[in-house]
Amino acid sequence: MANPPDHNRISANRAFALLATAFALLFSAVVALLAFDQHRVLEASERLQQETVPAIIRFQRLARNLDQLRQEGERLFSSGTPEGRQQSLFIVMLVASHPSILDHPQSAETARDTESFLVETSRLAGQDPTLLKARHADWLHYSRRLSLLVDDLSVQGASLATDDLGDMVAVMRLARIKLIGALVLVGVFLLLMMALLRHHLIRPLQRIDHTLSSLGVDQPAPEFPDVRLTEIHAVEEATKRLHASLVSNEAARRELELLANRDGLTGLINRRHFMLMAESELQRAQRYGRPIAVALGDLDYFKRLNDTYGHGAGDAVLRTFAALLSDSVRQSDLVCRYGGEEFAFLFPESSVEQARILVERFRQRFADHDIQLPNGLLIRVTLSIGLADASHCPIEIALQRADFALYEAKRLGRNRVIVAEETI
Amino acid sequence: MSSRLRLTFACIVAALVLGVLPVYAAQQVLRVGVLDNSPPMAFRNADGQLTGFSIEIIRAVCDEMQVRCDLQVTTLERVVDSLAGGEFDIAAVSLLDTPERRARILFALPYFRSVSLWFAKPGVMPGERGLRIAVVKGSAQESYARKQGWDTVAVPTNGELGLPLIAGVAQAAIIPMATSLNLMNHKDFRTLGLSSTVMKVPELIGNASFGISPRHPELKESVDNALDRIKRNGVYERINSQFLPFRVH
Repeated sequence: MANPPDHNRISANRAFALLATAFALLFSAVVALLAFDQHRVLEASERLQQETVPAIIRFQRLARNLDQLRQEGERLFSSGTPEGRQQSLFIVMLVASHPSILDHPQSAETARDTESFLVETSRLAGQDPTLLKARHADWLHYSRRLSLLVDDLSVQGASLATDDLGDMVAVMRLARIKLIGALVLVGVFLLLMMALLRHHLIRPLQRIDHTLSSLGVDQPAPEFPDVRLTEIHAVEEATKRLHASLVSNEAARRELELLANRDGLTGLINRRHFMLMAESELQRAQRYGRPIAVALGDLDYFKRLNDTYGHGAGDAVLRTFAALLSDSVRQSDLVCRYGGEEFAFLFPESSVEQARILVERFRQRFADHDIQLPNGLLIRVTLSIGLADASHCPIEIALQRADFALYEAKRLGRNRVIVAEETI
Repeated sequence: MSSRLRLTFACIVAALVLGVLPVYAAQQVLRVGVLDNSPPMAFRNADGQLTGFSIEIIRAVCDEMQVRCDLQVTTLERVVDSLAGGEFDIAAVSLLDTPERRARILFALPYFRSVSLWFAKPGVMPGERGLRIAVVKGSAQESYARKQGWDTVAVPTNGELGLPLIAGVAQAAIIPMATSLNLMNHKDFRTLGLSSTVMKVPELIGNASFGISPRHPELKESVDNALDRIKRNGVYERINSQFLPFRVH
């Protein structure tokens, strides 16, 4: 996958600083909004305490005074004496002139009208007391007007508090909506932040963890989807480099192993490696009671060939021998260059007899094979082989017995396979 | 007595003194100047006990302030001097707020609103020549009449304000609202047949307050707060109903 240019990525520090700042700003704004509402409620309740309640009390007093006016009027009409009327009239005059009444224009006007009417009534009654009855019908009109005003003032006073409380309730309702909105906003922000964290940090880390835990030379090079965070990208790139370095290390190791285990000329395994592998094959075979055989082969008259045609010819013979071998033995059989022109064989899952057939066939094939020397000459070389059973003894003993058999093959005229005696 | 014992004893005494001090502070006594012949604001009842609108209001205020108030009888004439001189901490007397008074004493928040009435034979108007006008000594009404150059007959207490009129020594009077209510209850005053008019003079209408000694300015806030509380908790209204026929604030 093609990686986007680096300027599309952002460092985790900056990303989380941005998120934190955004959250802080959002939260501050929400808190400020709520604080503003709270301030308004406090203001309203303070106003209720400081202004509205005294205003309500003023309205109540005003209503009481107007009602007092009405009562004094009634007293004036019911009083049988000029003195009683004078006293009522005096109080009417005081109430109507009191600053608390004068402060309220509607009350002042009503009180003034009432006072004028009662003064006039009192004057007329002084002249003719019977007129009182005639004027009482008119008085009822004033009395009703006063009563209505008292009612109005009582309601007005109460509604002052209602207005204030209504304001407070409206503010509180708004504040509740804001609070719910704020909670939703904060919740959404947190969800968004968790989603971002999951998408940009947790999931990539899980991917990296999974990749690292299964990272191996036998696995393909790790691949990652495009990521936005610089740090994650850096770790992913490092993981890819780690894989590449594992692969190249493995190649180097295999090469070194090859160099350590193989014979440089023939490409066959060397004696050390053969011994290691033969040991474990023998152990396995002996543990499970399986047949296994070893053989030692030696090229006949190899020294004379070297002396006659030079070492290059010897090397060519050895290489040809190795090439033929790889065609002739089974995959499971082991062959190594044991010494100069000496080769060791191991035949797992083969009895001596089965092995003898195998090596005999090979001996025959090699003896019939024309080997081309570097100078173009074609020659044939024979091979002597000593074969021994290895299913009941250590490898060294088995090889020793194969060696005796090889010696016997040489002694009997070479180019033959001799099976070691069980007794040796 | 060993020195250690003496030290322990001293500590106990100190602890007792310190422990008692706040109690003593809470039981602070305020000296309150009041009138005793100014019905219905301040007067003596049948048992000789002080009572009246101003008296009961100051008692309620003292209760609210959780202080003990020692009521000391004085006259209106002496009130401002006594306050200024520190003889009283508070004057529970309805004082109209005049510049002369304000220069010498502090005022609490108003506890009622008053008007002043001109009492004279029908047709006799303020400022007419040859009139002698009855006023209370040391009152705002006296001060106003003097400023107008009117001839005055000053009586020491509000309760005596009707006397010069009844005796014929004065032909008119400037009478505070509350006092006029009291005078109108007296038959011999009513039979004089005086007519009354509210004097539309700013100095004689408006807020009446208790006075506070300038030596104790810190008292103003607690007196104001106590007044505010009794206006809200109904105590003020009950006292108002007890002594006056209508709401005076």
